[in-house]
Amino acid sequence: MVLEEEIPRFAAWIGPAVIRYLFAGGLVALFAAAIAWCVQAVLHGPLAAGDRVYRGILAGFADLAGMSPRRVWALARLAVQESLRRNVLVVLAVFAVLLLFAGWFLDPGSVNPGKLYLGFILGASNLLVCCVTLLLAVFSLPADMKSRAIQTVTTKPVRTSEIVLGRILGFAGVGTALVALMGLAGWAFVVRSVAHSHDVAADDMVEVTDESGAVTGFTGRTSLDRGHRHRVTLDANGQGVAETGQGHRHSITRVGEGTKATYDVGPADGLLEARRPLRGSLRFLDRDGRPSTKGISVGAEWSYRQYIEGGTPAAAIWTFTGVTPEAFSDGLPLEMIVRVFRTHKGRIEEGIHGTVQLRNPATNLRSEAFPIVAKEFTIDTLLVPRRLGTVLADGEVKEIDLFTDLIADGQVEVWLQCLEPGQYYGVAQADFYLRAGEGSFAFNYAKSCLGIWFAMLVVTALGVMFSTFLAGPVALLAALSVVLIGQFREFIARLFESQVTGDATIVPGGGPIESLYRIATQTSITLELDPTPAVQAMKAFDTVLLAPMRLAAGIFPSLSALGTGTFVAEGFEIPFDLLAAHAAETAGFVLAFLIAGAFFLKAREVAS
Amino acid sequence: MVKTGAATSRGAAETDVVVETRNLSKTYRDFWGRRKKVALKPLDLEIRRGEIFGLLGPNGSGKTTTMKLLLGLIFPTSGEAFVFGREATDVTKNERIGYLPEESYLYKFLDAEETLDFYGRLFDMPADERRRRAAALIEMVGLTRDRKRQLREYSKGMTRRIGVAQALINDPELVLLDEPTSGLDPIGTREMKDLIVDLKARGKTVIMCSHLLADVEDVCDRIAVLHQGELKELGRVDDLLRVTGVTQIRANGLSAAAQDEIRSVLARHGAADVEIGNPRTTLEDLFLEVVRDSQARPGRRARASDRETG
Repeated sequence: MVLEEEIPRFAAWIGPAVIRYLFAGGLVALFAAAIAWCVQAVLHGPLAAGDRVYRGILAGFADLAGMSPRRVWALARLAVQESLRRNVLVVLAVFAVLLLFAGWFLDPGSVNPGKLYLGFILGASNLLVCCVTLLLAVFSLPADMKSRAIQTVTTKPVRTSEIVLGRILGFAGVGTALVALMGLAGWAFVVRSVAHSHDVAADDMVEVTDESGAVTGFTGRTSLDRGHRHRVTLDANGQGVAETGQGHRHSITRVGEGTKATYDVGPADGLLEARRPLRGSLRFLDRDGRPSTKGISVGAEWSYRQYIEGGTPAAAIWTFTGVTPEAFSDGLPLEMIVRVFRTHKGRIEEGIHGTVQLRNPATNLRSEAFPIVAKEFTIDTLLVPRRLGTVLADGEVKEIDLFTDLIADGQVEVWLQCLEPGQYYGVAQADFYLRAGEGSFAFNYAKSCLGIWFAMLVVTALGVMFSTFLAGPVALLAALSVVLIGQFREFIARLFESQVTGDATIVPGGGPIESLYRIATQTSITLELDPTPAVQAMKAFDTVLLAPMRLAAGIFPSLSALGTGTFVAEGFEIPFDLLAAHAAETAGFVLAFLIAGAFFLKAREVAS
Repeated sequence: MVKTGAATSRGAAETDVVVETRNLSKTYRDFWGRRKKVALKPLDLEIRRGEIFGLLGPNGSGKTTTMKLLLGLIFPTSGEAFVFGREATDVTKNERIGYLPEESYLYKFLDAEETLDFYGRLFDMPADERRRRAAALIEMVGLTRDRKRQLREYSKGMTRRIGVAQALINDPELVLLDEPTSGLDPIGTREMKDLIVDLKARGKTVIMCSHLLADVEDVCDRIAVLHQGELKELGRVDDLLRVTGVTQIRANGLSAAAQDEIRSVLARHGAADVEIGNPRTTLEDLFLEVVRDSQARPGRRARASDRETG
């Protein structure tokens, strides 16, 4: 799976993250106080404005401190009752229809149906739940303002923070129920949809014999089911597997002899799993064998994967740490995703040949090379055994022990090289890993539902915050804008950097005004504009426009970053460090939106 | 901090004065801060414990604005309002307040019991107390049979009654009633007035604003008449309605012939139950007179001497 950034340890991440959070929160609070003072100064003069802002801040914090759980619970219950009155459960019917469509239109014969189904279900659940809770959140308070029901609430000893928190909790409660129900339904749907088996007919199997005519095994194929079939390879005892295809395999046992033999085919194995990878750090050797931090760019716009040239000393080297005999008693189960870039067609049906070698970083001892054939879009596996060989200087192969001879202090290097000249292997750091264990798929799926829940919580709090001072439709637009900016925060950051530094290679095409100009004049984004005064002014204006967007992108939440559906769909266990970081981020955003919402509502005349 | 201290000191002296306003004014502005409407001109007011105080005025006179300012629903442009010695924007004062808005703005998807339970929770009341208070209030307002029906199914009169119940859920010391008899039939109106008098008897302070002058006249101890955001009249109802400078003689049992010479022969003809005093006008007459005077001489307080001769 694609993992553009390394997942940091939560314990190491949380400290700096809290400092950044407090710093950003402090800046936003100062900015808000300055705006409030300016408005009050215009109305009441500078001194009175200072007094009012100071008293407002004090009263706001007193409100936050004086919250009553009973009142918050009452308001949360009211939000739930209101949601039910608005027939929020209709969304479950919509989800059921989506499941029907998924059953009809998703192709079970795709490369990896498990990934396809899971991606769809988790994506649809995320979208539906977030949309529903956002709509509930943004329209609730404005509706109360319009019906003036809020007046009978605010004339009770209710703090604005309680109104905001009660609504967040109430709508989040509704969202939680939806996530749970959709999660359960989705899980049942996926498990039932991908479950299948095949038949193996005796006529489809042939014996494999050696030169003496002795039977060494059986080979053949399975029946065509769900748009695919497997090659079958059995040993002489009739035990074997249907080879990996569509992201899974089946165990097969031959029962009986001769033409009366039948074959028991096991369930799909490997479709819904939660691999626990041990990842290493990646470095490269260039075509001359010199160390390099990067491989070769083959011109792909996305620079996630770096390439090594075939038939040269170029290599991609992963260093793994924490490799112990206790954790890997049967050897090292190495799993690899190797992309291929061909400069000539070659033997297109075969894949590109290469080797994998292990090296002791302390003694420089290398294992013999394991040949591999890169199959794109699948995960290749290689079990490096405990006992393996090393090639001596005279060409003789000597047996060595994996842990005694190749691993030093739990560290080992894995070298990947491409053997075919003119062809390239493309890899990223996350593409090679040791399969350190197996998690529970159901538990992993539940963790991904937790990711949806985080996103729902952030969206709900965001919607409630905007609804404290904006009308429903405007609050909806504002919340969507924040989500959109958060979604593209990395792009906006790079765009701003490109604009400020004038380096068009970071993001070609310029800012919004320049882009508009290029569209209107049909000018390519790669074409440098003449530095006329008008163009200079346009670029300067773009910088001014982008500055607040850059600031906003730095603090707005990215909902997709909170999602962990990719892990589940790709069959990887969601790391607890990532989940804990997401939980902390969610708590941070909800707290910020709660405080902001409470202050906005307190500053508002609910009966004007 | 200074304000907190002031509020505390006011709280110590709150034994009698429940509501106090000082130069309290409100001006509504548009988005750009431009003055849109002066809803209330500087108002000084004191309302004491145990009295029924009426706010009178035509539409747009500022009486609801005053009530909203006292409740902290809107913020004063200048001046100050204190309730129980605390600033009107301090939500903790609401623990001792009950408020019946003009239209009983309640959640229509709740039934009567849920409504009172909800508002009871907002007062942080324990479950037992909530149940007890809700049952008693539902019975008091005569909704026992309809307590499980959603408020959307209620008639206007029933909605008004559950509104009253929610205003009293916390057994408040100060009750603010905005048009309390609006939408009630004559029996309901009578019950509402009885309730207001009963609240006074129980030591509660009641502030009400109403267009129904007869209702105000029946129950209020003191009234303030507002017009165009300005206080035009303030005082005890009895004092305000008494027409001084004119002597009224009331007698029973006089013959027709005696009426011509009544002033000279009253005593000689031996009329019984002779009553000599000041005549009393109606609140409606007073109200209309104040409004007419205010329109004729805007910005000036109505003069007692004018009324005396009028």
